[in-house]
Formats: sequence, structure tokens, C-alpha cells
Amino acid sequence: MIAQHTETPGSANDVHLGCAASKLRNVGALLAVIGIGVAAFVTLGAENGVRHFMHAYLLAFSYALSITLGALFFVLLHHLVRAGWSTTVRRIAELLTAAFPVLFILFLPILGSVMAGKPVLFPWADVQLMHDDHLLHKKIAYLNANFFAVRAAIYFGLWTLLAVYFRKKSIAQDAAPSAELSLSMQRVSAPGMIAFALTTTFAAFDFIMSLTPTWFSTIFGIYFFAGCLVSFFATAILLMVSLQASGRLTAYVTIERFHDLGKFLFAFTFFWGYIAFSQFMLIWYANIPEETEWFLHRLNHGWAYASLALLFGHFIIPFVGLMSRHAKRNRKVLTFWAGYMLLMHWLDLYWLVMPAYDAETPVFGAAELGSTIGFVGVLIACFAHAGRNVSLVAANDPMLSESLSLQNQ
Amino acid sequence: MSSDTHNDMHANETAPTYGVLAEFDDVNGVIAAARKVRDAGYRKWDCHTPFPIHGLDDAMGIRPTRLPWLTLGMGLAGVACALLLQWWTNAYDYKLNISGKPFFSLPANIPVTFELGVLFAAFTTFFAVLGLNRLPMLFHPLLTVSRFGRATNDKFFISIEAKDPKFNASATIALLQAAGAGHIETVMGPKPSATKFPGWLVIAASSVFAFGLIPLSLAAKARFSTSSKPRIHIVPDMDNQPKSRAQTANALFADGRASRLPVEGTIAMGDLQEDVAFYQGKQGDAWLKGFPAQLTISDALMDRGQQRFGVYCAPCHGVSGLSDGTVAQRAEKLAEGTWVAPTKVTEPHVIVQPEGQLFNTITHGIRNMPAYGAQIPPQDRWAIILYLRALQKSHETGVSDVPARALPQLN
Repeated sequence: MIAQHTETPGSANDVHLGCAASKLRNVGALLAVIGIGVAAFVTLGAENGVRHFMHAYLLAFSYALSITLGALFFVLLHHLVRAGWSTTVRRIAELLTAAFPVLFILFLPILGSVMAGKPVLFPWADVQLMHDDHLLHKKIAYLNANFFAVRAAIYFGLWTLLAVYFRKKSIAQDAAPSAELSLSMQRVSAPGMIAFALTTTFAAFDFIMSLTPTWFSTIFGIYFFAGCLVSFFATAILLMVSLQASGRLTAYVTIERFHDLGKFLFAFTFFWGYIAFSQFMLIWYANIPEETEWFLHRLNHGWAYASLALLFGHFIIPFVGLMSRHAKRNRKVLTFWAGYMLLMHWLDLYWLVMPAYDAETPVFGAAELGSTIGFVGVLIACFAHAGRNVSLVAANDPMLSESLSLQNQ
Repeated sequence: MSSDTHNDMHANETAPTYGVLAEFDDVNGVIAAARKVRDAGYRKWDCHTPFPIHGLDDAMGIRPTRLPWLTLGMGLAGVACALLLQWWTNAYDYKLNISGKPFFSLPANIPVTFELGVLFAAFTTFFAVLGLNRLPMLFHPLLTVSRFGRATNDKFFISIEAKDPKFNASATIALLQAAGAGHIETVMGPKPSATKFPGWLVIAASSVFAFGLIPLSLAAKARFSTSSKPRIHIVPDMDNQPKSRAQTANALFADGRASRLPVEGTIAMGDLQEDVAFYQGKQGDAWLKGFPAQLTISDALMDRGQQRFGVYCAPCHGVSGLSDGTVAQRAEKLAEGTWVAPTKVTEPHVIVQPEGQLFNTITHGIRNMPAYGAQIPPQDRWAIILYLRALQKSHETGVSDVPARALPQLN
């Protein structure tokens, strides 16, 4: 069986972006400029506009970051468990991780607001407040501008380092087949995974949880991580579908791989629900004021609707919808659920970030939409730029034939 | 011995044909043959391979299993059972108020519901897999074929049962030959007598069952009859001790009581409370006005009083003493009728009460307010009264009462 598949299927040009790469990159960059520009235009100048813009910006930034982190996790996991099935889809994830350096540059406005001591985003940036507030003054050692900057530099440094290492080695294998390259990536994946776990957890604490500095939840990092994976698998499915619609990768990514990606999407949708409920129930049951505050805002006023929309939309409905094998093996149905989950993941981040701007009423408008479109544009541009001269599949990976022949019984 | 003679009696009966077994050398061979057998319309047949082969299900034309539906159905049944169980126990049969949460409260019920859903689904899957595959199977006719052992090593087999409506010994063998089988063998089933349940086993099993009923029937008898004998004491531990228990009779003493009173005039250590001003808030027959002489009025005592007030009094009387504590607010909301609202510390009749009377109220309670004498030591009760006086004063005061050193804090 395996021997039948060692010949590379398809012709060479259906695994390259080719001239579409520069077109895609330009479209992405244009979306980024227009999107973020519109968001800035409608907010800056209005009353409270800087705060509004920064919250919408952080929301969109987290959205792009979570997808990119999910991609990095997928690459690390692939090598850590010496996976076979995912070889044909791994390059897509490797190309997505190319966004880290650009995201770091786009993180600078957020960092700048903290360094300038302006509490437009994080209340703890106000040093005086930290000294006066009884609940906060013991947190000064962690929540201060300098340490925040150092931590952010460590996170983005490690992420970029890991992303570049795995992408470079993987692409080097395209030109010169070598099992040694695979083995060295497997060796790095274990410490890489530990670094990923710690940096992602603390990044979630720093970038999102500290919007409400008095509140704390130790499970928050995993909650954010669950969202990263949901959004990555949804993105991977949509990318595969659109690449195949343009005639690329058709011989490599069969319905079996869509089925596998669908299973992961289903699994992490449930995992998200499990973690989200674990976080909620302990806080709800213990009923301690400093912990319930965060949920109280989200279960009252207009935010109650967003919470209910997440419960049903992010968990119960897709859980039922994605459960069946037939849903995962039907490209159209799976494409729908992938797009749907990307929307729901956006709602999840919206629900995490925006109550910090207005705890009474959910605001939605050109600022939120524009900045999100902008950051999606950033991801597209980075993906296209990284994929301009490389194959979209790890063509000489020793595991490729296994990936091509695997079937779900 | 009896089973041997039993078999001998049927020595000349003929064993029925179980089916045919065809051997193949490689994966491709068995897949191609499976397609041919499938297309020929056979239903009762199977493939036996040393390892799982991707795509073999499809080549055999196996229908999708019913297992997922069983798992889903029983998982949902588990969810329903868990919700019913929790509703019955918590909200219907034996209501328990747990920190003011609703009796039937979905968030609290989710963990049990989730676990029971998973448990039902997992058990169903496990037992349904056994059942649908007719496991455990202690004997199979194919195991009598010596070549078949290689199905766990390096050979691939297809077996077609004689029970299949399309089975025809010569035609089936011809089909398998055409499909490329290396070796074909007809397999005999067990003799009909061998499939009968052995008689001695029936007797043994019934005896064990009958003996097993004896302890159960004894337990049932004891459950519904009374006996004057003490119950069987299997593990005595220290249950029976030669000592007098409280409220029992004892002939040793003149009054026949086992429990003895202490000698008249006995005072337990630390219980000598001669200072009635400090321990009872009294001066002669009247309430003590002011504080007992042995108490040193200080900032430390005031701080202690504020802190104790926050612990014991504020939940009802409120931090500022205006009867707006969280317990009072909650009770107002519940409007249960038996609630008497706590008194405001600023009420005129409280302000005029002597310190000794307030001390007595804290010690013994009043109306709905319980006695705190057992919980708050006398020193702390006086500290609370000291703070109470400050609280009363704070409600009718002006800047003139604020000490000069505290003035800057007001701005």
C-alpha cells in the first residue's frame, strides 16, 4: 500500500503560490492599512477615542496572535509526537508562524501606551493607582511597565526563534532530503513545547487578563490556548479549501486530512467549552467578590447576551454540528463550520477584551471591524510573503508517504 | 467420565461444514479478493489479517456500525439521569440550602451531568463492542485449522460461512481460486452434541446459586423479624467497656445515679468571675455606666473593637451601624416573615443605654440577635462597645470633634 504512493503526485506548479504570492501580499497589506486606518479614523478625535481605538486594536491583535500561536503549537506538536498524518498540512502552519516578527512590531503601540504610563488600555499602567489601591499595590513587582516590556520581548523573541528554526529546517529539507533534519526538529520540539506553554500562558495573563488587574484566574492561559487551537484549525481548513479551489495541493490534501483537521476542530471546540466552564464554575461557586467581579460584568447588561451567544454559539451548537463523521468528511459542511468557528473565536476575544472598555454596553462598529480586518490582512500578507518561493507541502519529509496513505477507517 | 461416554454415544454423527478458508500471501491479494467476494453478494464472511489494513472495510463493503448511535443515545440518557438524580435529591426529596444558591442550579449540576454522560457513553461503548462482536467467544471453528495460526503472523485469510445464503461449496471455492487464493480448505464446525451445554455444569451452577441464596435469605429474615438477643458482634473493638455511662443507674451510690455532681463550691479553672462589673456589666443592681476600672481605654482597644465589630456585628448591623449589613439586605430581599430587622446603633434608645446594658445584650442576645457570650471574650465585648460609642458619635459630629492630627486626612 505504502509503496504505491512514493511517487510525488501532481505536477510541480500546484504546490506553489507562484505569482499569486505577491498579489496576495499586496491585498493583505492593503487590507491592513485600510482596516487599521479606518479604525483609527473613526475613533481618534472622538471623546474617549484613544481608549476605544486601543481596545479595538488589542482585540484584533489578540485575534491574529492566537491564530499564529495555534500554528506554532501545531508545528511543535507534530514533531514532539513524531506525527505522520499531519505532514501534508504542516507547511501551511509553518508559513502562518512567519507573522511573529510583524506582530511584534504591531505590538509596539500597546507597549508604548504602557511605557508612557498612560492607562488607556491597562489600568495598572497608572503608577499612582497601583500605589493607592489596596488590592493592587502588592502586584507592583509584576505589573510594571519595565517588566512588562521585558516579558513581551521574551515572548516574541522565543516565538520568533522557534518559528524561524522550524520553518528554515523544514524548507531546507525540500532541497536536500535528510532524516537528520527531521530528527533535529524532533529534539528541539520538547524544550520548544515547554517554552511555548510558559510564554503563551503568561502572554495571556499580561495582554488580556491584566486588563482587569484586580482579577485573576490561573486557568486563563489554558483558556486562551484553547481559543488559539480552535482558530488555528479553522484557519487551516479554510486555507486548504481556498488553496484547493485555486487548483493547488489537490493531490496532497485528501478528504482524509480534512477529516483529521475537522476532528481536531471538534476536539478543541469541546476543550474550549470544558475549560471555559471550569473557569466559570469555580468562581461562581466560591462567590468571592474579587473573583466574581469579572464575570459579573459579563453576565449583566448587554454582555449577558454575548455570554449566552458564546455558550451556545462557541460550544453547544458546533459540538452537535461537528460531532458526526459525515460533517467532517463533507468539504462544504466543514468549510462552513471552520468559518463559523473563526467568527465565534472572534466573539470570544471580543468578550474578553471589550468589557474593559465599556462594562455596561457592548460596543461594535467600524473600529472593531476595521482593526480586525486589518490584522487578518496582516496574517494574509505574512503568509503570502513567507510562501512566495517555497513549496506549500513538505515534499521531501520522510513521513510524507505515511501521511498520503493514511485513511480513517 | 460421564462426558466421555456422552461423546462416545455420538461418535458416528457427522460434523456440519462451517465454511471455507482461503489463504493469501499479501495485502493487495486479500484486498482484491475481498472486492470480488463483496461483488459476488456474500454477506456472512470475514477477513483475517495480522495487522489492520486501511481500506479493507471499504473493499469488504462493511456497513457503517450502529455503535455511534448507541453511544450517543446512552450518553444523552446519562445526562438525563444525572439531571433527574440531582433534581430529585437536591430540589425535591431533601432540600439543602447551600450558601443561598438555588436548590436546582444548572452550573452546579454540570460536573455530575458531564461525568454521568461520559460514564454511560463509555460503558455502553465497551459492552456494545463486546455484544456486537459476540465476545467473549471461547471457541471458533477456524481455530481448528492449523494454518490459520499464521493469521497473526504473515498470512492473510478470507473465510466464508456455509450459513451464507449464496454459499455453494464448489462455486465458492471456485470464486476464491479465481480471486487468487494460495490455499483453500473446507472447515468443519463442531458436532451438534459438542455445542450442548454440559449437564454437570448445569447442576454445579444451580447448586452454587442455591447456596448463594442462603445468606441472602437469612439477611432478609433478620430484616423483617425482631429478636431479643444482641446482634452478632463481628468486630468488638472497644465497644463494650466496664464503665458507667451518662444518665444510667449505678448501685454504688446512695442515690443510684451514675452521673455525679461536682463537690459544692467547685469552680473550674479560669471561671472565677467575681468582678461583676467586668463580667456582667453590673454595678450593684443597676447597669454599669462607663467602662470597668480594670479596662485600659486605648487606641489599640479601639482598633480591636473595630475589627471585632467587623467580624461579628457588621454582617447584620452594617459596617456603619445603619442595619445595612449583607445578611440584613439578603433577608429583606427574601422577605421570609420571621425576620426582625437589626436595630440601628444610632437609635436614640440605644444611645442612652448604659455600657453595662449593651454588654449584657452582646452576652445574652436580644429578640432575633443570638447570644455572643460564648464566642466573644469579655475583653473583646468591651472593645466592641468602645467602638460602638465612637460609631454613634461619628453620626452626629462636626469638624470640631476631629483631632488636629487627623484633620489633613479629611481633605
